[in-house]
Amino acid sequence: MNRFNRFERMLHWYPPHWRSKYAEGMAALLEDTYGTGRVPIKVRLSLVKTGSLERAREVGFIGSATSPHERERAGSLLVLCGWGAFMIAGAIFAKFTDNWGASQLGGANRTLITSLYDVVQWSGAAGVLVVLGAAILVLPSLLRMLRGGDWITVRRPLLGALVAGAIIAVSTAAIVIWAHFLSYRERNGTLAVYGYVVGAWSLMVSVAVGVVASAAVSVARRLDLPRRSVQWLSTMAVVLTSLMFVILAAMLAWWSIESVHAPVFMRNGIGNGLFYTSSEFPLALIAAALLMSAGLCAAIGGTVRVVRARRDGAYE
Amino acid sequence: MAKRTTSPVGGLERNNEPAVLILTSLASGEKHGYALSKDIEGFAGVALGPGTLYGAITRLEERGLIEPTPSDDRRQPYRITASGRAALSAALEQMRQLSEIGTSRLGARIATSRPTLGGATPGYSL
Repeated sequence: MNRFNRFERMLHWYPPHWRSKYAEGMAALLEDTYGTGRVPIKVRLSLVKTGSLERAREVGFIGSATSPHERERAGSLLVLCGWGAFMIAGAIFAKFTDNWGASQLGGANRTLITSLYDVVQWSGAAGVLVVLGAAILVLPSLLRMLRGGDWITVRRPLLGALVAGAIIAVSTAAIVIWAHFLSYRERNGTLAVYGYVVGAWSLMVSVAVGVVASAAVSVARRLDLPRRSVQWLSTMAVVLTSLMFVILAAMLAWWSIESVHAPVFMRNGIGNGLFYTSSEFPLALIAAALLMSAGLCAAIGGTVRVVRARRDGAYE
Repeated sequence: MAKRTTSPVGGLERNNEPAVLILTSLASGEKHGYALSKDIEGFAGVALGPGTLYGAITRLEERGLIEPTPSDDRRQPYRITASGRAALSAALEQMRQLSEIGTSRLGARIATSRPTLGGATPGYSL
């Protein structure tokens, strides 16, 4: 194995544009420092961190090297990435609460918890509409780019997103057809194979959402968008962040009320589907809450970037 | 919370930043990554990791404070530009002022905190 290539391979966390300029010099530095010896794990982790930060800087997620217009666009894309995490979390929550109506709740609690669940659902649907609206808004620019021959620059992420979408569509259809022939009990725990397959499918969906979100970022940052469109997109991003906040708050409230007034649903695993519940803190809801929190943090970061970019005179 | 302010030249906000160390090293002549790393370790006792070093080099080059020099080797040398010298000069002047203020205040404090010799009760002499 070429020793120099060994060091260059460690730099794959850095963006291609950066690598074309600095990788050779940095690989030489690593070679001079470590020679044939082992590169310490601390240094490897540091390269992962600095490489990822360099990627985030290149996209415009951090730093002030780009123009306010670009930073506003990047802020909106960061919100979109946060929404990707919400989509995965939402799917987990939806599966977990498949049959939550079976929980024995009455009176005012029933009304309150139903309202909270509705808030989660309707806010989620509103979020999907906002994202679709954003996609429609950028469609003319995307078509212009594709017609202009610039699609070569986004060929890889676009193909990746299409392949990921196709795999998910086919595997989802297969699972739905299989589930159609299974009983309620088989779908909810007694048929282990089904649980494993659904688990693998969920992981695939998570990866696919990541691939699609990454492709969306790659494509959107190369689009020649008019300022007005970016302004609309960033406004949509702020709305989306608000919806994400509402969804997380309503989900947490639903969880706490359900835990207090209908713990049997949480403990007995009625409708838990993929994940077994053993307490008021089921793994599925913890995972969903953590993902939503991470997504909301990204979205808030994006919104702050949008607001600051506007303040810095994007539209003066 | 204290708000970070930007210095007037070159955006070298913090005096202990790798950027200042790199500019200081390059002030004595052009160097490549490894030479920079060793030089900084020698005069400042700071071991900059490869990621940190090249991150700072990237920012400095973007700001036009350093520039690569032609090289046939894989090791890419860099040199400080005129703007880089001005930025370093401003940062060092800022550090000098800070050092003077710190030293004078520390000196006053040392003087004020010195107990009176032989006194049974604690006291201070100015």
